[in-house]
Amino acid sequence: MQLKSDIFVVAVSSLTHVGMLGVELGRRVVRGEVPALCPLDVPHPSRPEDVRQRKLMSRASWMSALVMRDALAMARWSEQREEIGAYFGVGASGAEMDDVARLIGSSLDEQKKFSLARCGKEGLDASNPLFAFQIMNNFTLCHGSILEGLAGTNGAYFSRGLGTVTALEEACLALVEGECERVLVGGADTASHPVTLAELEREGYLRDGLVPVDGAAALALSREADVPLGRIESIWVCPVERPRDGLIPRAGVLRDAAVMASVDALAEHPCDLLVLAPWGAPAREILSELPEALAIKQSIDLTNLLGESLAATPAVAWVAALGMLVETGAKRALVLTAGPDGDLGAVVLTRGGKR
Amino acid sequence: MRSVFVRGVGVISPLGQTWPETRAALETGATGIAPITSFDVEGYPSRVAACVPWTLDDKQDRRLALAKHAAAEAWKHAAIEAPPARIGIFVGAESGRATYETIFALSRAAGGSAQFNHQLFGQNARPLAARIHSATVSPAAVASVLARLVGARGPVETISLACASGAAAIVEATRAIRLGMCDVALTGGVGADVDPFMLVGFGILGALSSRGISCPFDVRRDGFVVGEGAAMIVLSAERGDASVEVAGVARSLDAHHLTAPDPNGDGATRVMRAALNDARTDTVDYVQAHGTSTPLNDAVEAAALARVLGSNLDQAHVGAVKGALGHWIAGAGAVGFVCGYEAVLSGICVPTAGLVEPDRAFLLPHIMGRAIRKNVRGALVNAFAFGGANASIVVSRCN
Repeated sequence: MQLKSDIFVVAVSSLTHVGMLGVELGRRVVRGEVPALCPLDVPHPSRPEDVRQRKLMSRASWMSALVMRDALAMARWSEQREEIGAYFGVGASGAEMDDVARLIGSSLDEQKKFSLARCGKEGLDASNPLFAFQIMNNFTLCHGSILEGLAGTNGAYFSRGLGTVTALEEACLALVEGECERVLVGGADTASHPVTLAELEREGYLRDGLVPVDGAAALALSREADVPLGRIESIWVCPVERPRDGLIPRAGVLRDAAVMASVDALAEHPCDLLVLAPWGAPAREILSELPEALAIKQSIDLTNLLGESLAATPAVAWVAALGMLVETGAKRALVLTAGPDGDLGAVVLTRGGKR
Repeated sequence: MRSVFVRGVGVISPLGQTWPETRAALETGATGIAPITSFDVEGYPSRVAACVPWTLDDKQDRRLALAKHAAAEAWKHAAIEAPPARIGIFVGAESGRATYETIFALSRAAGGSAQFNHQLFGQNARPLAARIHSATVSPAAVASVLARLVGARGPVETISLACASGAAAIVEATRAIRLGMCDVALTGGVGADVDPFMLVGFGILGALSSRGISCPFDVRRDGFVVGEGAAMIVLSAERGDASVEVAGVARSLDAHHLTAPDPNGDGATRVMRAALNDARTDTVDYVQAHGTSTPLNDAVEAAALARVLGSNLDQAHVGAVKGALGHWIAGAGAVGFVCGYEAVLSGICVPTAGLVEPDRAFLLPHIMGRAIRKNVRGALVNAFAFGGANASIVVSRCN
């Protein structure tokens, strides 16, 4: 989708192992100042009300709330929060495993066997009151929106990559259609969650080079801005055909789809920077051919530096791309994401507000 | 902007394997709520649920089986053809869950104490990974299966907005057709949450009816009853022989509380008004309410309905299907939509099963006992979620 109306990026925030950063993330990428991958150290809550809330929140919800708050602060959107929309790609939110352990530990009978009857009583008594809501994916969006007072139009899209690009597309459509004037869009996920890890292992993604990390990112978008960071020029959500017996598209199919999506997204405009976010080795090998195929001189493989954070990866890549545009003075960036869902997202961002 | 027509519907519910079967039972005021027999519920905060009693091929995952069943009916009903790239899938679904046996094994792998030992888990969990198939966990598996079922290669979206998921998916499908992103959409929602973890989770909140009765808007209401089922709808830009269209859609957030609706009903009011504005009307003849049977939710929704419809409220008979089918969570808004569609199509307005003594604190023109038949030009469908996400849809007779 080529955007006919101006959609400006007013502020950005990301939470990765590099830290909680806005455009600085892209700067560090350009300068080669990204440290080796390590577990994400998520900031602890400091406000008393956050301390109370954090106990009820999943890790992904808390990370999402942090980047929402940061992006809102940087955008200086303190007024009329109730009119701001929110669109996020969300992963399987995942109950905190300590809660699961407590629930199960309390549900064992005298023979140390799991007892459904005890689960329904003692297990219940031992659980976090919001256990059910840690399991529900939408709370990655809703917790943050409650803490920050966002009450506009919204959507939470399950994402292993493409859902987050869909969130951006729907957020931009909401702005274009006049459903709201300002919106937060992004993604948050915990690929290191044990159940998610087990799932990734089961499907063979870890063996194929997926490096699972936790992450979150948010972008503040608006139809009007005095000094925007950048502009969303086009968004292409590209489902890719997969073989009937497999999750990963065939190499030729993914390559053709990536080239076509890139060409469509760029619409014959020149591009200075290609930001790639392949989930693992099969996608990496194919996307690595694109800089030459598209004749784009500057490119970066972002997941190679930052790991794969599933629903968060595309949003982190957009934040990094904007920072890289600011740092290098380049005009236009194509961000191509290929998540483990097998599908592609192509987003074109330009620096500043001018067309 | 293109119109969006309802070309087909399909439902599998505790009361029927098809929408006509389900509707026939709903008309009589029947309820599908019964004691849970699929696992031992001794000691649980609720021991009843509305379960689909028919045998399904649900070895892989119950959500997939339910969704496929309903989608096949809707697709057959629509008898529609379109290029694969012009068919989109928009589904409301939440994550599935590994079985409690698997979760138990995972917990054991991490030491089995109250503290989850991630290091031990990393060492021991690899052999357990094979037990967790991605399709049983990922909500996206539902859309993927449906895309394959109907040969869709257009936009695919999985909306996870808890109890508003199904309605929000229909909102997204409507927008996609209006904007030309696809010509045909298979949309709807599925819920399969009758399991120990969800009963415990909702039980902790006190959200479940301790009496085991779902009775929306009744003075005795004390919580909801979990249900399961799927409702799928085929929408199209081409009218064909359709006589019902999606006239207005909207979404909002409460931004108020994790579990409770805003007592002022601001989010609910805004979303209903926005949907009616989108439909360019201020009146409807039928409301399929969210009606969870929880004390606060029903009171807030009733007050918001009164505010939004004002003097037009009297002509808008209100029904809430959760009294009969339980609460399908991610599928709830979709089956509500089908009830609204039916009211416009045939004039059959299904009642609120379980409602015997309406709460006098808010007076709504309830449909009690059996269905009524009336001329319905437009119907409003509501879905409000835990976490504060709201969706409203207006369906109306085609111009």
